[in-house]
Amino acid sequence: MLIYVLRALVKMAVTLLVIVTLVFFATRLSGNPVDFVLGDGISREDRELLIAYYGLDATIGSQYWRYLVSVFSGEFGLSFLERRPVSQIVFERAWPSLKLLLSAISFTLIVSVPLGILAAIYRTSIIGSVVMVIAFLGYAVPAFIIGILLVLIFGYTLNWLPVIGDGSALHFIMPTLAISGMLVAAITRFTRNAMLDVLSQDYMRTARAKGLPEWVVILKHGLRNASITLLSVIGLQIAGLAASGSVVVEAIFAWPGIGDLLVRSAILRDYPVLQFAVLSVAIVVIVINAAVDIAYAYADPRIRLAKG
Amino acid sequence: MTKLLATTALASLIATGAFASELTVGAANVSSYLDPGRDHSNVGSQFYYNSFDTLIAKNHDTTDTEWRPGLATEWKLIEPTVMELKLREGVKFHNGEDMTADDVVFSLNRMYQADFPPYQVRARDRLENFEKAEKIDDHTVRITARRPEPLWETLLNLQQVMIVPLDYTKGLAGDPDKIEHDDYEAFSLKPVGTGPYKVAEFVPGERVVWERFDDFWGEKAPLDKVTVKHMPETASRITSLKTGEADIVTNIAPDQLGLIENDPDMKAAGSATALFHVMIMNVNHPKLKDARIRQAMSLAIDRDTLNEALWGGKAVVPSTHTLKEFGELYQPELTTFEYNPEKARELLQEAGYDGFEISYYTAPSYYTNGLLAAQAIMEMWAEVGINGKVTVQDKWNGGSPDMMARNWSNPMYFADPFGSFGVMWAPNGPSESEGRFNTDEDYAKAWEQFRFSGDVELRRAAYAELMERIKQDPPVLPLYRPYESWAMKNNIDWAPKPGHIPYVLDFRAGSIAVN
Repeated sequence: MLIYVLRALVKMAVTLLVIVTLVFFATRLSGNPVDFVLGDGISREDRELLIAYYGLDATIGSQYWRYLVSVFSGEFGLSFLERRPVSQIVFERAWPSLKLLLSAISFTLIVSVPLGILAAIYRTSIIGSVVMVIAFLGYAVPAFIIGILLVLIFGYTLNWLPVIGDGSALHFIMPTLAISGMLVAAITRFTRNAMLDVLSQDYMRTARAKGLPEWVVILKHGLRNASITLLSVIGLQIAGLAASGSVVVEAIFAWPGIGDLLVRSAILRDYPVLQFAVLSVAIVVIVINAAVDIAYAYADPRIRLAKG
Repeated sequence: MTKLLATTALASLIATGAFASELTVGAANVSSYLDPGRDHSNVGSQFYYNSFDTLIAKNHDTTDTEWRPGLATEWKLIEPTVMELKLREGVKFHNGEDMTADDVVFSLNRMYQADFPPYQVRARDRLENFEKAEKIDDHTVRITARRPEPLWETLLNLQQVMIVPLDYTKGLAGDPDKIEHDDYEAFSLKPVGTGPYKVAEFVPGERVVWERFDDFWGEKAPLDKVTVKHMPETASRITSLKTGEADIVTNIAPDQLGLIENDPDMKAAGSATALFHVMIMNVNHPKLKDARIRQAMSLAIDRDTLNEALWGGKAVVPSTHTLKEFGELYQPELTTFEYNPEKARELLQEAGYDGFEISYYTAPSYYTNGLLAAQAIMEMWAEVGINGKVTVQDKWNGGSPDMMARNWSNPMYFADPFGSFGVMWAPNGPSESEGRFNTDEDYAKAWEQFRFSGDVELRRAAYAELMERIKQDPPVLPLYRPYESWAMKNNIDWAPKPGHIPYVLDFRAGSIAVN
């Protein structure tokens, strides 16, 4: 088990180094912040002056070296625009995003797992069909459409729900729904399919033959065996969401999250912020993946044995 | 007894400010830093006027030039290049410090003798004529110019020379007894001025919270607290007025105005902003060296149609590079730019234009209607036979030798042609140094007279001469003054004042009322 965890950690470290490097070079290929925002309407000499002030006049190699050193010393530099430590900026934004993510995940699990089970059990009746139609709709309608529709109905027309920021519990309702749409659809479908596979297994018949009540058969013997498949799908979906999924939704609801920060710093080429933000998101994604890997090993002894 | 209790409760409610005037503003953009000295962005100009003062103030209710005492109560020239100013007594900064000549000298010299690069670049284009500020006594300062200055008041009314506290700034970082670059960097996160509102909270890019500053030297602020929140999405900004989450919102696109005006709960206020969206043309591009081709590119554009189609006719199409705010220097009688497709065709033929492609760059969304205007311009060009192509990219390529044409803006940084055309198109200014505009001795001579002559008529004549040069060998076409709108709840009376630079959120006494 220890070796298994260690291997996951080394893999993480290598992935991070690759990401740091890619982000560093990709951002610099596309120009510098003086060209995008700081240098509007100034002369060429003044532009040089600013480029030197922000330390962008050194060769790309030495900038990269300086950056690596700073990463390993835990200093990630100052934002070109805000002139404060990027870690401070990113952490300020990370918590609201994380709260929204957790809210969306909780909502998704509470709704979609039961729906998926229902759809599997009643696959031949109208209940199963209705659930699947809803799931397909959720899959087909992008988050920003759901978001804008919600704003139009519950904000603009009915004035029931607040639309701006993360001030109270009520503020979470619309963004959570907007983000969860796709996720609910996906997890419901995967739950249904995973359950269908399991329901026809011999051990289900055995469980019933033992005289266990139906709900124990479904939840303990059915859902638990389906959970391996579900785990990997949920991990992937959450990781995807953490990486990018909520940028548009955050903009619609003026959510002070990391999505807005990522987009703004990318457009303005605020490299230090962009690098640190991408790195943070990458770490979150990697941690989620690693957690899923480890959860597998706990859920299924065969995986543990095969890899260990 | 019950009645008495009720009355007392009501009275105490009023006294404790349950009816206090608090406002929330939903802004499309919130600054990343707040330092009036280094900033000249449209995002930043929203914020400074409420918290900072200049030595010489201005009547903003009119586009005429009416100077008012600000932090200086009197000023007079004691030599052709030396101005002496008496400072107002009893002025306090938001942190409680008294404002003295030391603060004024520091604020001015940090720009006049800048060694901090962000200040250097800001001072170069507009403050180069100022040599130094000196303290005479605690409430008297002298400012020395290098050459006689026709624009003293204008250039002491600039956002960049708003007064900031010396001791406070020194103590922000590093050695508390010395001014270092890090002090300036720190100031831009914790700004302190003398204006009627102090910045109580500032989260870069997200939120600015103003609170009334009770020790303000002038008429006290009408609002107790104003929170400006970042709301990037237009639909949500407008909705926030309906849900009560905001009282005023900024940047309403022209096509959303109908929605606001038809809604009984809200209203809009707007003005043609004191800046031009322009098309620039690279005079040094090998294929555009012939001025006739650039003249044709300009003559082919029907700006009135652009105005009708994109701005509902609310933008203002200028005949020359001039703005009403310029006062005595406003010269609408000049005809530098016009629509004449016939002439465009003739010029193209004379120049032997062979149908080569002319690229026009625009960022996807930086300028309101920028991309739509670009596409319409391509159609107008096609009408006269120019083969144009729009290229969309975020990056500024105004300094690239390959750039043929693109959009840009020429804001009015202060109310004088020097503050608009003069900043962008000066000899060795941004346009020339980027290699897309040339000046010669004659141009420089006319520019000198326009910039430094003490005689308004001579300045006007010189400016007319510069405009004629621009007409003959055009590097720029001002398309229009865009129309900018704000929306607000019906109980708010606010509108942008005509005497301000663009986008100022002026909430001082007399500028806003909540009913």
